[in-house]
Amino acid sequence: MPASSVEKPLNSPNKGLFNNTAGFSTLITVTVLLLAWLAGFASRLFAVIRFESIIHEFDPWFNYRSTAYMVQHGFYNFLNWFDERAWYPLGRIVGGTVYPGLMITSGTIHWILHTLNIPIHIRDICVFLAPVFSGLTAIATYLLTSELWSRGAGLFAACFIAIVPGYSSRSVAGSYDNEGIAIFALQFTYYLWLKSVKSGSVFWSVCTALSYFYMVSAWGGYVFIINLIPLHVFVLLIMGRFSQRLFVSYTVFYIIGLLLSMQIPFVGFQPIRTSEHMAASGVFALLMAIGALKYLHSLNPKGQWKQLLILGGLLAAAAVFIAVVLLTYMGVIAPWSGRFYSLWDTGYAKIHIPIIASVSEHQPTTWSSFFFDLHVLVCTFPVGLWYCIKNINDERVFVALYALSAVYFAGVMVRLMLTLTPVVCVLAGIAFSILLDLVLREDELPIPQTESEESKSLYDKAGKLKKRAHEPTLPTDNTGLGMNVRSGILIAFMILLMLFSVHCTWATSNAYSSPSIVLASYGNDGSRKILDDFREAYGWLSQNTAEDARVMSWWDYGYQIAGMGNRTTLVDNNTWNNSHIALVGKAMASNESAAYEIMTMLDVDYVLVIFGGAIGYSGDDINKFIWMVRIAEGEHPKDIHEADYFTERGEYRVDSEASKTMLNCLMYKLSYYRYDSGGSPPGYDRTRGALPGNRGFKLTYLEEAYTTEHWLVRIYRVKKPDEFNRPRIPLAKRIISTTNAVSKKTSKRRKGLLKNKPTLVKGKKVSRLE
Amino acid sequence: MKYKSLLVFSILLTYYQSDAQNRAKGLEEKVQQLTDLTAKKSIIPLNFNKFKEYVKSPPKDYSFVVMFTAMAPSRRCAICQHVFDEYLIVANSFRFSQLNNNKLFFGIVDFDEGSDVFQMLRLNTAPVIMHFPAKGKPKPADSMDFERAGIHAEAIAKWIQDRTDIQIRVFRPPNYSGAFAFSTLVILAGVFLYIRRKNLEFLYNKQMWAVAAVFFCFTMVSGQMWNQIRGPPFYHRSKNGPVYINGGSHGQFVLESYIVAILNGAVVVGMILMIEAAGGVRSTDIARTTVEGKRRRFQSVVGLVLVCAFFSLLLSVFRAKTQGYPYSFLFK
Repeated sequence: MPASSVEKPLNSPNKGLFNNTAGFSTLITVTVLLLAWLAGFASRLFAVIRFESIIHEFDPWFNYRSTAYMVQHGFYNFLNWFDERAWYPLGRIVGGTVYPGLMITSGTIHWILHTLNIPIHIRDICVFLAPVFSGLTAIATYLLTSELWSRGAGLFAACFIAIVPGYSSRSVAGSYDNEGIAIFALQFTYYLWLKSVKSGSVFWSVCTALSYFYMVSAWGGYVFIINLIPLHVFVLLIMGRFSQRLFVSYTVFYIIGLLLSMQIPFVGFQPIRTSEHMAASGVFALLMAIGALKYLHSLNPKGQWKQLLILGGLLAAAAVFIAVVLLTYMGVIAPWSGRFYSLWDTGYAKIHIPIIASVSEHQPTTWSSFFFDLHVLVCTFPVGLWYCIKNINDERVFVALYALSAVYFAGVMVRLMLTLTPVVCVLAGIAFSILLDLVLREDELPIPQTESEESKSLYDKAGKLKKRAHEPTLPTDNTGLGMNVRSGILIAFMILLMLFSVHCTWATSNAYSSPSIVLASYGNDGSRKILDDFREAYGWLSQNTAEDARVMSWWDYGYQIAGMGNRTTLVDNNTWNNSHIALVGKAMASNESAAYEIMTMLDVDYVLVIFGGAIGYSGDDINKFIWMVRIAEGEHPKDIHEADYFTERGEYRVDSEASKTMLNCLMYKLSYYRYDSGGSPPGYDRTRGALPGNRGFKLTYLEEAYTTEHWLVRIYRVKKPDEFNRPRIPLAKRIISTTNAVSKKTSKRRKGLLKNKPTLVKGKKVSRLE
Repeated sequence: MKYKSLLVFSILLTYYQSDAQNRAKGLEEKVQQLTDLTAKKSIIPLNFNKFKEYVKSPPKDYSFVVMFTAMAPSRRCAICQHVFDEYLIVANSFRFSQLNNNKLFFGIVDFDEGSDVFQMLRLNTAPVIMHFPAKGKPKPADSMDFERAGIHAEAIAKWIQDRTDIQIRVFRPPNYSGAFAFSTLVILAGVFLYIRRKNLEFLYNKQMWAVAAVFFCFTMVSGQMWNQIRGPPFYHRSKNGPVYINGGSHGQFVLESYIVAILNGAVVVGMILMIEAAGGVRSTDIARTTVEGKRRRFQSVVGLVLVCAFFSLLLSVFRAKTQGYPYSFLFK
């Protein structure tokens, strides 16, 4: 843009700008992208405006804590960080068990800003990182779509992804999580990959590998890339679209990407040792074999080469497949891990890994959540897919595969909606662009040339389509669609897009902008009340307990206790040790004395439970309790039986009809101890809508330490062994009788006592005891 | 009369004499019989007498797991067959495992052969799997809860371990049917391709591939995967007539997902119609006559109506499901 605008004034400033379509379309592109960035950024700020600049939810607290650690202690200390505050008494090697990309990104930004003498707190960087990256994602999507179709489609896609709820759900301000930067890395890697397939240049392949490296460092979802790109290559091979470009780009990408990805400590040797990565190496071997066959073919172009090629390809594929299967059986390659396996065998997690099944974002997706997250895009993206397949080329094969695989995964797991959203935006962008391109283009033919070029550049920049734009020369008014139809279509689609944008704003504002650490309740008159119980409790913990106190809670709150309360936790959201979690679940599910045994075993000082009965908060521990029981039962089938916690009729209740085990377990007692709030009969549980069945009990082994304002968080102190179950001694007997003792003063050996002379006192005491 | 009473007395006497012997011997004998039966068939079929003898009557030091079922086709118990298959897997795994130490036996009572047993235990549903412990009466937990645990062999084995402390490692006979079907399909496809090797044009038919891809998208987007995993009812029969749309946003009916798929499809068809009417992506070779122009105008109007109407329908269905959703288009 600047270069062209410098040259222009020589001719005529006004006309020159319009004649220079390249410059003008660049201006429009830049403006639209900037606006998309701004809109995306702004629509993610609801949480900050309503509440404050605060880190949300659970995982972000850990990311924030480790980022703060890295900023404070430096990168190498971070990589070697052994966190003794988590998973007591085991600890956790943080440097080796995280994807450090997120921390490095915000640490780098922090460093740059501080070098420029802009003193910004690391927390604010963490809070605003995801919204800023949403703009970068929009740009990456624009680039990807313009590689696939046209720049107009790219602009549409960029605008879509900037505000679509499916993506802003994971990237609102304060949601400081891996996905926030990973979607950018994903889109950018795909863009570079298409670029390298198109050009076949080593440069672009190396760029792809570097971008892939960033993605690996940022998110475990990189497995999606390392399976999708080989799938693309494989399908291209099947379609007979082998080319030198493909060969160069894939081999370079694979080798460099493999080496780079193994540099991340958490990934380590997985890329050559696990089944998830085997598709990539298999396709690599296959590509090599086919490349060799092609080369042989070029040496001697006569004979039955086509059959030989097909046969050789099939044989190579079979050999690669058998090799992978054999290696898996021999144990060289680890089989599919449960998390990935449950994507194929959808019933797997429910039976074998309750801890995965217990997370709500691992559930399958209903159509209404598709619609909620994508709105009009959900019914327009198949149009884009349709035209991509109808006008297929190497890149569009990729986008079709991307769409089909992502839509499958999104159907299996709500969480993977995140990987579907970008491709839906791309395809819907293409669909809208095709339609509006056609509707707007022919309309402007009769209008003077300058005007038509202007709007054409809006939607149609890529060479292919532009050429065609001139071909339908001078259609008479009768043969075209006519003005009325055109404007009708235009208006209808403008309305659809407007509906889309208001829907996006509404969804982001209402569904995805709650920090879930600070709750808000609305009164009948619309007044808002902030419930800040979580921070109150964590603040209490950090101020009133010993520095090394160990807090037992369910794993959901581990990161928050560590991040805000700065106390040692037993289990946290990094659910790597199922048996440890099961032990905590067992303690919660046992009766008080059995739980006390476990708690002394684990050195627990405080127990923290979340109780929502007073305010009707449904995400509390009693509602999660059944998963604690299930997980505990998985590890301790002798002691915990799920059926014991249900009534005879198999209902999960807390009132007087609840089962006896339920009424006496630790979780129940800690939730309802001394509870007398919550509505008309005091002690009414508003979440379950019932009056608790076991009330007015006393605790033997624990004592209440703190309960927050709305009863939301309750903290109990575990008593020391000398504090309970001591026989009660009547008052009269508590005095140590002194009748038998001989008073020193009256004895004959009367000696003066010197103060501060320990030896003398000691000698006295010994003699007296004898 | 006197003789008669004497006879009765002597019979009684002999009975009592042999009783003590009978008890000690009876246990061994019973276990032996059961072992023989198990050797023949891993699940022992029981009728009323056998049930009383082996399961109910006291001298026993073994646990008995009994499945009560109604396998006859006339009973129309679809799930019974599934449960039986899984049960058989468990019984077989136990029979061939090392642990087989005559402490646990598996039995089955079919309703048509042992309806007396059903009456005795006051069972009115099938299938039921019950555990009869070596000592004492069965407790409520001794009948397995399929609803919570599921009917998988693993679940049954876990439940048995729970009740009897005998751990059974379920050895599932590898299911060849899936692999067989898959290989048959592959072979068929291969044969088909080989036969038509001269004419493989249809594989390059982009229309076909595009239709398949778009259909796959509709299937997934309308939540068929959810249906598959959660198994909702086809639609809900309530007092006020059938309900097709689930009221909550966290659930759906099968029919509802079909409706949504059709609505989505209509929008897509409408949009494609519009694009084709406006010239399509390759717009060069369209004959341009006045008649053509009219047809195209008509086509694009149809497309526009399809898009607007069906999208607003979709929006209103969504609005009905989502509480507090403020926006609508054309229809409320």
